Amino acid sequence: MAQERKVGLLRRTSSSKKPLKEKVVLMYDEIFTKDDPAKTNPRFWDELFLMKVNLEYLEAKLESLDGDEVMLIKENLNSLFHHCVQALEEEHQIKVVNALQTLCALFRGVHQKNKSATGFDIINMLVGFDKAELRMKDLMESLDSLLCGDGSESLKSLCLKLLLCLVTVTDNISQNTLLEYVMINSIFEAILQILSDVSSRGQHGYDAVVLLALLVNYRKYESVNPYIVKLSIVDDEPTLDGMGMVVHHALTEYNRQYKDKDEERHGGFLSTLTNMVGSMFIADADEKLSVQTNEAILLALYEAVHLNRNFITVLAQSHPEMDMPTTPAPTVPTTPTTPLGTTPPSVDLMHNPELPLDPSMQTSNLLITFLKYSSIVMQDTKDEHRLNSARLCLIILACIAEDQYADAFLHDDNMNFRVNLHRMPMRHRKKAADKNVPCRPLVCAVLDLMVEFIVTHMMKEFPMDLYTRCVQIIHKLICYQKKCRIRLQYTWRELWSALINLLKFLLSNETTLLAKHNIFLLALQVVNLFNMFITYGDTFLPTPSSYDELYYEIVRMHQVFENLYCMVLRVSTNVGQWKEPASKVTHALVNVRAIINHFNPKIESYAAVNHISQLSEDQVLEVVRSNYDTLTLKLQDGLDQFERYSEQPRETAFFKELVRSISVNVRKNVSLNTLSQDVLLKEFSSIS
Amino acid sequence: MGDTELDLSPSQMEELQKSPSASSTSTTSSLSLPSSPSSGPRPFTSSSPSASDSLPASSPPLDVISEGVGELSLVIDTEVAKKACQEVLQKVKFLKVDSEPASTAVEPKLVNGTSHTDPSDGDSDGLEKPVKITEEEPSSGTVKSARRRQKNNTSKQSWLLRLFESKLFDISMAISYLYNSKEPGVQAYIGNRLFSFRNEDVDFYLPQLLNMYIHMDEEVGDAIKPYVVHRCRQSINFSLQCAWLLGAYSSDMHISTQRHSRGTKLRKLILSDELKPASQRARREVLQPPPEHSLSPSKRTHQRSKSDATVSISLSSNLKRTASNPKVESSQDEVRPLYLSQTGFPVRLTPQREFIKSLMGIGKRLATLPTKEQKTQRLISELSLLNHKLPARVWLPTAAFDHHVVRVPHTQAVVLNSKDKAPYLIYVEVLECENFETSSVPVRIPETRIRSTRSVENLPDCGITPDQRASSFSTVPNYDNDDEAWSVDDIGELQVELPEIHTNSCDNISQFSVDSITSQESKEPIFIAAGDIRRRLSEQLAHTPTTFKKDPEDPSAVALKEPWQEKVRRIREGSPYGHLPNWRLLSVIVKCGDDLRQELLAFQVLKQLQSIWEQERVPLWIKPYKILVISSDSGMIEPVVNAVSIHQVKKQSQLSLLDYFLQEHGNYTTEAFLTAQRNFVQSCAGYCLICYLLQVKDRHNGNILLDSEGHIIHIDFGFILSSSPRNLGFETSAFKLTNEFVDVMGGQDGDMFNYYKMLMLQGLIAARKHMEKVIQIVEIMQQGSQLPCFHGSSTIRNLKERFHMSLTEEQLQVLVEQMVDGSMRSITTKLYDGFQYLTNGIM
Repeated sequence: MAQERKVGLLRRTSSSKKPLKEKVVLMYDEIFTKDDPAKTNPRFWDELFLMKVNLEYLEAKLESLDGDEVMLIKENLNSLFHHCVQALEEEHQIKVVNALQTLCALFRGVHQKNKSATGFDIINMLVGFDKAELRMKDLMESLDSLLCGDGSESLKSLCLKLLLCLVTVTDNISQNTLLEYVMINSIFEAILQILSDVSSRGQHGYDAVVLLALLVNYRKYESVNPYIVKLSIVDDEPTLDGMGMVVHHALTEYNRQYKDKDEERHGGFLSTLTNMVGSMFIADADEKLSVQTNEAILLALYEAVHLNRNFITVLAQSHPEMDMPTTPAPTVPTTPTTPLGTTPPSVDLMHNPELPLDPSMQTSNLLITFLKYSSIVMQDTKDEHRLNSARLCLIILACIAEDQYADAFLHDDNMNFRVNLHRMPMRHRKKAADKNVPCRPLVCAVLDLMVEFIVTHMMKEFPMDLYTRCVQIIHKLICYQKKCRIRLQYTWRELWSALINLLKFLLSNETTLLAKHNIFLLALQVVNLFNMFITYGDTFLPTPSSYDELYYEIVRMHQVFENLYCMVLRVSTNVGQWKEPASKVTHALVNVRAIINHFNPKIESYAAVNHISQLSEDQVLEVVRSNYDTLTLKLQDGLDQFERYSEQPRETAFFKELVRSISVNVRKNVSLNTLSQDVLLKEFSSIS
Repeated sequence: MGDTELDLSPSQMEELQKSPSASSTSTTSSLSLPSSPSSGPRPFTSSSPSASDSLPASSPPLDVISEGVGELSLVIDTEVAKKACQEVLQKVKFLKVDSEPASTAVEPKLVNGTSHTDPSDGDSDGLEKPVKITEEEPSSGTVKSARRRQKNNTSKQSWLLRLFESKLFDISMAISYLYNSKEPGVQAYIGNRLFSFRNEDVDFYLPQLLNMYIHMDEEVGDAIKPYVVHRCRQSINFSLQCAWLLGAYSSDMHISTQRHSRGTKLRKLILSDELKPASQRARREVLQPPPEHSLSPSKRTHQRSKSDATVSISLSSNLKRTASNPKVESSQDEVRPLYLSQTGFPVRLTPQREFIKSLMGIGKRLATLPTKEQKTQRLISELSLLNHKLPARVWLPTAAFDHHVVRVPHTQAVVLNSKDKAPYLIYVEVLECENFETSSVPVRIPETRIRSTRSVENLPDCGITPDQRASSFSTVPNYDNDDEAWSVDDIGELQVELPEIHTNSCDNISQFSVDSITSQESKEPIFIAAGDIRRRLSEQLAHTPTTFKKDPEDPSAVALKEPWQEKVRRIREGSPYGHLPNWRLLSVIVKCGDDLRQELLAFQVLKQLQSIWEQERVPLWIKPYKILVISSDSGMIEPVVNAVSIHQVKKQSQLSLLDYFLQEHGNYTTEAFLTAQRNFVQSCAGYCLICYLLQVKDRHNGNILLDSEGHIIHIDFGFILSSSPRNLGFETSAFKLTNEFVDVMGGQDGDMFNYYKMLMLQGLIAARKHMEKVIQIVEIMQQGSQLPCFHGSSTIRNLKERFHMSLTEEQLQVLVEQMVDGSMRSITTKLYDGFQYLTNGIM
């Protein structure tokens, strides 16, 4: 379209086709000449910023020039930039708005055209080497004071858009040389201030959080990023809480939309009938039922959890009153609010605490919302984005599971919640009724989520990486329980059988999986989880009978363990890359085999003596109970040790890719929003 | 301050010491009682030397002296003096009593009032002085009328006066005379005399004082007001208590009269926070060269209340911390001084009022939720938000020491059993301090900081005693320095650290598990028996002390069963403030939607009886628990620690009470059991008497607690005196005495049962001896009250009758026997328990 317009503009006379050129466009044209526009009209710059910006034109114009051409008009571009920065300090808000938008167009136009150009060229082109430092400092300071001042909210929003625009002009954030100036002239405090204030958080929180998440990822691994340092030491609770609230709100919104769509799909009989005709198409659409997962917000959550210890408290912070006056999330369109009952805690509660509460409302916190979100995201990991989101969810959970304070509240017996996780509909199981989830400590929900993942992802495209993380999380939680002697009232049996099934799956797909993955590592982790239960069960199992059940389960599924042993023994006796890892598994299996070898004959003889062909569970348990004393176990080393999560070097590639994808996504969304600022202009034109 | 004291001439000092009346700021006006300027004072100072001499020299009055003298500097303020006089003038006109002479009498006073500030004339007109001072009193009008009357019955008055001057005259008698006397002079005298009693003694009668102030005639009110205003200036706590009680006791008035009533006005005055401590003023004036010293000990602080030009600017109206600005990293340090900033006055009442208000708000919102579970979740989340605003200059009024609330361990809070209301119990971490008004508010420590202390090594089972732990805490370096240390290395290196915790893991097995799996070949394998693991598991579970099982419908049972010391230790470990030596744990029940005025009345009666029994050395045991009335439908209760209701005991243990005693304390012959049994008997006897005297009803097992030492404690005095639940005619017996109780006492023929009856008799005799002290509490509160316990006209008469003044001790003994017998056989008690079981599920 821009192209078309440009063509139209070149043919000045053909006014029949296009309306007359706007004045602003004429002025742009003047800039794109070699002469100083102020020479002919001393008030040129003043006038320029009084005019409504034509972003498309400006951007297209910049885009159309190649490197050399740009260098010819460099002086004028530098001058434009300079005057933009100056205009930001104007009292006249129209000028400020126009300057902000012009800057947006400048950043984007320069980058789009000069994809090949180095960062230094861009700086030179835009600002000029000699003045770059000063100009950018001025720019950042102006933005900072606009963001922190008492000015118009729309103006603040525009500032954030400009910053988002600046941060995402390159696909790879670390190649954005301009950001070096954003590092030197920090706007971190401004972002925090936005997050700490209830009303500004409601309006700009989403942008602020995304901006922060992106800035933290600028040259994260190569240099000292001041935003990382600063984020890690924030301890002001209202601010951290505000950040948590923004994330909470975004995730809640996602969960709600998913639930709405889900209910629509599985809707009542009537809706099924009405939709019958279109069901052929819906089946296809169902695959994309997923609302776009929110990677940017997830990344922000990760950075906060990973970098800031104090943020952990925010996870458990319940929000009886959500203080988000508006739905700011730009990526998700707001849906009309349904009558009270299905909407999340609504706004008016904040303003009117006397209002009776919706009794069906469950108190929630960020962690619960995050777990629900994870359960949705993990359902389907086929598409790349969702796989990444699922991975990030597991990484965040791993960070949480490592944290002492987080563990403390996860296991807190007084903090019980009902967490309705989303479960994938599967052929062999009924859709569990949501209502009868018991009220339990939060760690149970985490374990449930892990079990759910294990059970539902045994497929050809085996997400080995996710499985490893999943088992690690369980391991970390159990280590904490062992250390602190916390006897969780949890039905461990489900976990045991899920893990055994996983081993079974690994065995039956040995050849296909081995081509891609080291399955022995995962097998070792799983077996060691059993070793934890076997040798340290006394420290964290809830009842003596649960220990008996463990043995029962192992004995019942002895075939799996025996097959696994055969397999690892075979691989470890062969020469090859798997020899070492496989032999570790053989050693780890020693106790499980001891149990099987000890109890199986006992059970058989019990059956023989009592002339029973098939022993009942109670009978087996009876045999187990009466034969402990003759069984000797070997103590395995290092069972309760785990490697702490570290982003470097293992996850570097993942995060780089993730940030790139987020950048692209944000850029797309920002462009849409920036251009629809007519409202804003109207607002100010009426003022002035 | 000090120099003013020095300027007292020796003779004045002597006089002040000699006469108890003149010694206190207030009692100077005691001389006004006979109040004829020429003759009045003389007989008093001379007629009561015995009384005054017998007063210990170091007794409270002396303290009052120094205090009074300390405030002398205030009196000098001419502006204040003028204002005061104008006020008196107005009052005099208003009273229309001897309006002409009064105004002339006042005029010279104005002159004299300033003139006698000259220390030189103090000696010469020592007798004259008090008179002038009395005229400075707001009650000067009434004094005059008293003067007239005094002429008629001088002798009677002087006897009365001798009584008032005697050491036997205590606060209880003062209250009684204040209530019963129709003589304005007597009332005014007692109003002044209040100043000479210890604060704690008067505090006990605060509900009575305020109720009289609200509901009785103007003279009584005028007599009380100066004292109340004076105390309000001194203490924030007292101010708030007054404001709350005034509000609560005014609520029974008709809405139209209530608005203009004295009580409401005083309440507004207090809540306007205009009653600043006089010392603040003094502090400022100390800087100026000391003006002429006034010897006049009379400085009616309340007179200045309106003249006090210094209007406090109340700063942040919220609980302070909310205003913190993240832009400034060190915001905390900047926000905190706000409390004291600018005008130099702290925001006195606001933080505490906001604190109480938010607690009540939580209660109100909880009541709208249908299930216990939702209530509990909601409570926890609301409290966690409350934590953000702490620490602050707030405190629990039920506590016995000065402190600042620093944290509410929100996950420990529980919702209590109630059908339609939502009372809840919270634990509150406080830091004890010298004076909560002046000590600085503790600095906030973020939640996550506990990780440095609650690392794995410090977890239970490691054998570290709390003391050791505490000492190790004290060496923890300043958190602020620590801050940067970890925050920097956290980013890069810290992530790869291996958990070093294993080296000193508390688990004896894992001591060996330091090396990684790869090295296991090289080491001697360690074998363990599976049977041992299983055995340890069952042993450890068996060894955990008898706790109650978690029941979502009764979340409080578990929380209350946990021994208090255990709970304190646990919460302390989990608290970022736990390492501080002045850390304390308190608990409080927040009641919203319940009228606690009857509870407060019951508390007072219990307290009174407790002290009577103590005085008479009757070993009856009762536990009055503190009540804070905040309004006519909200308040707070101090929970009884280490106690669970008999209902919970029976439901959880599924044992009879006796078997539960055996389980908890040991076999019949063990000392522990015998002690517990004795405690049970003494408390049972105490509460049986209470129940009889006060006619406490609704005595189902949910309302009777059993503490860990075997005492029973009755709670919930919602139905006392003339009210009983739904009037169904249950509970007709004198008190509740079930066979189960008798079984614990060792059966009807046991020694302990006889001991029980004997205790009851002794207790009744002792109570009878001091009946007036008990009656008085109830009687005064009946004034203007619509409380159901005062329903009907015969409440007081019936109460008096239950003391059986006319019976001989032998007859009393028979009576006790009869009551015990009757109660034991009472079919209605059993019926009522059955009724409760059916309707409320209470066992």
